[in-house]
Amino acid sequence: MGAPLCSVSRLCRASWRAVRPGCQRLHQTQPTGKETHFGFQTVSEEEKGERVYQVFENVAKNYDLMNDSMSLGIHRLWKDWLVRYMNPTPGTQLLDVAGGTGDVAFRFINYVQAQREKIRRNKLDHQQNLSWSDISMSYSQEQKGSLMGSKAVICDINKEMLKVGREKSLQLGYSEGLSWVAGDAEELPFADEKFDIYTIAFGIRNVTHLEKALEEAYRVLKPGGRFLCLEFSQVNNPVLARLYDLYSFQVIPVLGEVIAGDWKSYQYLVESIRRFPPQEEFKEMIEDAGFFKVTYHNLTSGVVAVHSGFKL
Amino acid sequence: MMLGVSVWRSLVQRCVVRGLHTGSACRAAEGGEAMGSPTFDPSVLQMLVCPLSRKALRYEKSTNELINYELGIAYPIVDGIPNMIPQDARMIHREQKSKDPDHPPQ
Repeated sequence: MGAPLCSVSRLCRASWRAVRPGCQRLHQTQPTGKETHFGFQTVSEEEKGERVYQVFENVAKNYDLMNDSMSLGIHRLWKDWLVRYMNPTPGTQLLDVAGGTGDVAFRFINYVQAQREKIRRNKLDHQQNLSWSDISMSYSQEQKGSLMGSKAVICDINKEMLKVGREKSLQLGYSEGLSWVAGDAEELPFADEKFDIYTIAFGIRNVTHLEKALEEAYRVLKPGGRFLCLEFSQVNNPVLARLYDLYSFQVIPVLGEVIAGDWKSYQYLVESIRRFPPQEEFKEMIEDAGFFKVTYHNLTSGVVAVHSGFKL
Repeated sequence: MMLGVSVWRSLVQRCVVRGLHTGSACRAAEGGEAMGSPTFDPSVLQMLVCPLSRKALRYEKSTNELINYELGIAYPIVDGIPNMIPQDARMIHREQKSKDPDHPPQ
């Protein structure tokens, strides 16, 4: 019994969230003394986790509305692009980290359903004269459901975001293939080698220890599995970069105040984007975590980039 | 242009939907299973492990928790969503554990 308890306290020392009143917590957070950034401010690692949590707790209810108004709806196209690029086949097991409001997971389910429909039609085209055994085979396959075993697990550290996402899934009528789990990207509550694809869309820049999150992504992926990250990046066109800066710092916090009544959270979002490593640097970090064939694609001149890597 | 129109439409829709749903969201109990709220989907247990020890967990239906008996940690399931964040978990008391150490309830 001694050894496991030891490992708990060792891991607890590394954790950073503060104890919030009203909740019975397993252990108290102990300061690590290390500093990191929260937007343009320098804060302790413990404080960053707590403040990021507050930001997303504040913005959860208006998250989709704000994304639409800040990006003029373009975030939808970026997420569409990500899932088209992923090109999941029926049966794929997806882990969507920091995917609280379900944007990537819902697209994944739609895509898999469409793929499955395509396969079914192709089969019908090729099988005009069915034998009894073919018919019984097709029934047994039907039983696997419309996703043929595909599953999307949505993991987010923020319970408010998960709540909003799950409500949305009920409204949109998603009944199968989705699981919601509250968990930390740096300490994923999943067994090794369980997923075919790991996605993190607009989440990784909020993680305190990037390299730890990448290590965890590597751990939970099956060999041959793919890491995909959609994140704000560095704009490579100087004219657009000026306009983008102007828009980010002058317009977005104002929009945040007007629509969501929350200037500070959106100021943080803008600042955190500027602090995130540019494309090449992030690519190297992914390689350091053990991934192979790491590539990236810039979308909208590098406003966002999709990084991809394989566990081989 | 089409995008603008569709985005605007979805914004309006969402505002209406939010207006209708805030009431029901508030009614959902914070700590437990409210009436009609989704229940835990046990199929996810095949993938879940304790984030600290990376060992499999047991679903305890009576307390609605996922339990790591080895470390004595219980992760709560709130509104059907397992909360696997160690800081939110509960230590199981020793007395409770000693009751049935070898055959924990299914």
